Amino acid sequence: MAKKIKGPQMLIANRLDDGRVVFFTRTGGWSSNTDDAAYGEDEVLESLLERAQVFVANNTVIDLQAIGAVIDGDKAFPSHIKHAMQAKGPSVRADLGYQTSLDWEQA
Amino acid sequence: MYAYDQFDHAMVASRNAEFRDQVERRLKGELTEDEFKPLRLMNGLYLQLHAYMLRAAIPYGTLSADQMRRLAHIARRYDKGYGHFTTRQNVQFNWPKLSDTPDILDELAEVEMHAIQTSGNCIRNVTTDQFAGATADEVADPRPYAELLRQWSTFHPEFSFLPRKFKIAITGASADRAAVKWHDIGLVLKQNDAGEVGFEVSVGGGMGRTPVIGKVIRDFLPEKDLLSYMEAILRVYNENGRRDNKYKARIKILVEAMGADEYARQTEAEWDRIKDAPIDVPEEEAARIKAFFAPPPLEVLEETNASVDEFASKNFLFASWLNNNTNKHKVPGYVNVTISLKPHGGIAGDATAEQMELVAALADAYSQSEIRVSHEQNLILPHVPVKDLATIWADLDEAGLGTANVGLITDMIVCPGLDYCALANARSIPIGQAISNRFDDMKRIQDIGPLKIKMSGCINACGHHHAGHIGILGVDRKGEESYQILLGGSGAEDASKGTILGPGFDEHGIVDAVEKVVAVYLGEREEGEEFLGTYRRIGAQPFKEALYGTH
Repeated sequence: MAKKIKGPQMLIANRLDDGRVVFFTRTGGWSSNTDDAAYGEDEVLESLLERAQVFVANNTVIDLQAIGAVIDGDKAFPSHIKHAMQAKGPSVRADLGYQTSLDWEQA
Repeated sequence: MYAYDQFDHAMVASRNAEFRDQVERRLKGELTEDEFKPLRLMNGLYLQLHAYMLRAAIPYGTLSADQMRRLAHIARRYDKGYGHFTTRQNVQFNWPKLSDTPDILDELAEVEMHAIQTSGNCIRNVTTDQFAGATADEVADPRPYAELLRQWSTFHPEFSFLPRKFKIAITGASADRAAVKWHDIGLVLKQNDAGEVGFEVSVGGGMGRTPVIGKVIRDFLPEKDLLSYMEAILRVYNENGRRDNKYKARIKILVEAMGADEYARQTEAEWDRIKDAPIDVPEEEAARIKAFFAPPPLEVLEETNASVDEFASKNFLFASWLNNNTNKHKVPGYVNVTISLKPHGGIAGDATAEQMELVAALADAYSQSEIRVSHEQNLILPHVPVKDLATIWADLDEAGLGTANVGLITDMIVCPGLDYCALANARSIPIGQAISNRFDDMKRIQDIGPLKIKMSGCINACGHHHAGHIGILGVDRKGEESYQILLGGSGAEDASKGTILGPGFDEHGIVDAVEKVVAVYLGEREEGEEFLGTYRRIGAQPFKEALYGTH
């Protein structure tokens, strides 16, 4: 059973077509940039999950998860190293990964 | 090399057409992810941390130059310009798009490759000695048997949904370069007193969270009986292996629970029942497969070459490369060349498209168009004339492939770890790079001598840490990466399981810890004694004291 997460959470998923990691945004879409990510707890989180599930149902994203977040000002970032890696990209081959630029997939 | 017949081509084409349809239906939403996931996995397509990953099979690690060029093309056209060679002698692409994967599989099929048996609870790609058919220390070439096992196991209806994945390794050499004792089934070719060829058969080896060294259940199996005996072993496992707990589902757990003697008894009883059934191939078919692996027509040449010797006398790095990266061929005047994919500070197992193309060109020019992949994540040119070695090394060195470290401390096995893998708990690649940078002096690492570091980013042990002379295991300690150190493992013919020394280190501390372990070895070794010999003689205590103090 997954360990219960305490505190604020954000929603992470992979895009169906290219597997790229994305976060559910405050405006109800998906972004690879955590600066845009929505976050919350309890009822707020439940509401975010309900809205995000629509994109799972319509095959925009897969592997939707609520993950622990650390909040800095009004911005959320994944608290666990695995999800932080997903947000930042691999720590190696910095010349090729999407850590080089947020619009990497357009390159 | 084996060449597809009409049946092979039709089978792979049919499978690819089926998968293309499945991908289209998934993208249209006609299949859910739950429905699609097992289908994509059966075609080697995983979802990793950042993207999809496609694992293509390289049966028993053998590639033609044309196949390598196709891998380079795929890396460049569909990926980010590189591929990663794995401990199962396969290749992984880290960034393919789902919609591109049917085209990639069609591109692979054009050069007689596929991604079948690279995932799922089936019999996976059979692995073998990277020098098979080309080494002086061999009883027989294991590749025809590996090919026979490939054909037998592909889409085998009874063994496509085993309790868990199943790995077979086979070697024909006295030196075990295929880690056979660490496999679900390990096969060692040998001759009996009558000069007949057969196999020593071991079962129940494996790494992961429960490391076990395989147990021999038959000293000599005649080669003609290979498939029926494999079928008997697999049937006992398929019927008795646990399916209620994936962590207890591998054959090693069953063999431990049942006892090797009882496993052997049940296998023999089943074999006795089926061995006269038409399972084993007729002699003509075995001979047909063996013919694909006939030795290349190599003219015997001089064993030494004056210009090569002269170049070596003037160039320390080339001399080191000759010493470390070449292995004696069975035909005089030739060697097996190991191309290190472990450049100092580089990523173990990675090769760029340009590097793959260079290796393909060198294979065409100097190695009968043949290439091998080793389970230690290097590439091999198996049939190279001694007289051409200086030219080849110069070309390799210019492309960053001339590192002379094979078998030495920087020739590490390193899994993708948390940089790519969804299962990992800690990064492996940066640790490997840091160790490589710490030990970047060729004279120093030659003085240290043969030493195998093997590193995994989680307990699943894809990086073979249990079998490392020095093993490193990355774990998650309260959300932080931590690295445990193991000593004394071996994947060779003297297979042994490494022992964890003590508490883990952070990413900087683990590099210092490796250096301290090496310092203890250098201080304690006797004349001509390699690291593993010293460890086995003096035990873990001096190393523990160096790492953790005396308390």
